[in-house]
Amino acid sequence: MLFVLAALGNWSWGPLRHDWVFLAAAGAIAASALAIDRYYAEHFGHVTPSLGRQRRATAASVAGVVAMIGVTTLLRSRAAWSLDLPVNPIPAVFGVLMLGYYAAVVGLRAHHVLVWGAVVLAGLLPVWTGGDPSNVGLVIAGAAAVVNGVLDHAALVRAFAAPAGPAPGPGSAGG
Amino acid sequence: MADGELVLDRLVHEPGRLAILTVLSAVTDADFVFLQRTTGLTKGNLSSHLAKLEDAGLVTIEKRFVRKKPNTSVALTAAGKRRIGRHWEQLERLKGLADNGPAPSPSAATPARRAAPVRP
Repeated sequence: MLFVLAALGNWSWGPLRHDWVFLAAAGAIAASALAIDRYYAEHFGHVTPSLGRQRRATAASVAGVVAMIGVTTLLRSRAAWSLDLPVNPIPAVFGVLMLGYYAAVVGLRAHHVLVWGAVVLAGLLPVWTGGDPSNVGLVIAGAAAVVNGVLDHAALVRAFAAPAGPAPGPGSAGG
Repeated sequence: MADGELVLDRLVHEPGRLAILTVLSAVTDADFVFLQRTTGLTKGNLSSHLAKLEDAGLVTIEKRFVRKKPNTSVALTAAGKRRIGRHWEQLERLKGLADNGPAPSPSAATPARRAAPVRP
């Protein structure tokens, strides 16, 4: 949602031409993120990942930020060393990073490959000639993140569905 | 227990406790709600199993308040990690025996060696 908000802010879309509206919208997104976090904690519980998984998540996040800045600048920017390709670097790089993050930290599912693979393809299609495509790229990445989140939620609900049969009891194997 | 002997740990082998310990072996800690959702156990069964595992020194249970609501956090102890790790090794060995048959040695040919006794 922040990606989409950033793009709309860059376009000075509607009320977002005022800085305070942008900040208020960003605050509302942060507040809704906290509410969503609380919903998941209450309905699905809280878990602290293993140290190995925490390290992988940190490493993937740091590498992601570095790659996002470096590779997008390399693919298309005003920098002298940029390849200046007719691609949209934000969705192309962000999609690859999300695929890498899921593969390294969470485990890739079919919908991750479908959503982020489509984002990478959209970014790499050589149709992005003309002006700076960054804002459209932000909208694509933001929309993909929302779709991916909805599908992640559906997968979580399916995985945590109530068992069909009776739960194993303390006395079932010598309790 | 002799080294290499195939013995299943009855405390760990019970399906509910095996599910709890297996979930906890993959994380640093988890709260009661998460364990209930992942294992499919009822609140009563989960409480009962956790009490047994805590008495055996396999898990630590920390009760606290999160946003003014009671929250129970559970983590494996070092002994718990060893016991569940060894138990899964034993199950893998048992599966290996089922898939490949016992090793062709005089000791492995005896029924007592081929069966997997359950340690009380």
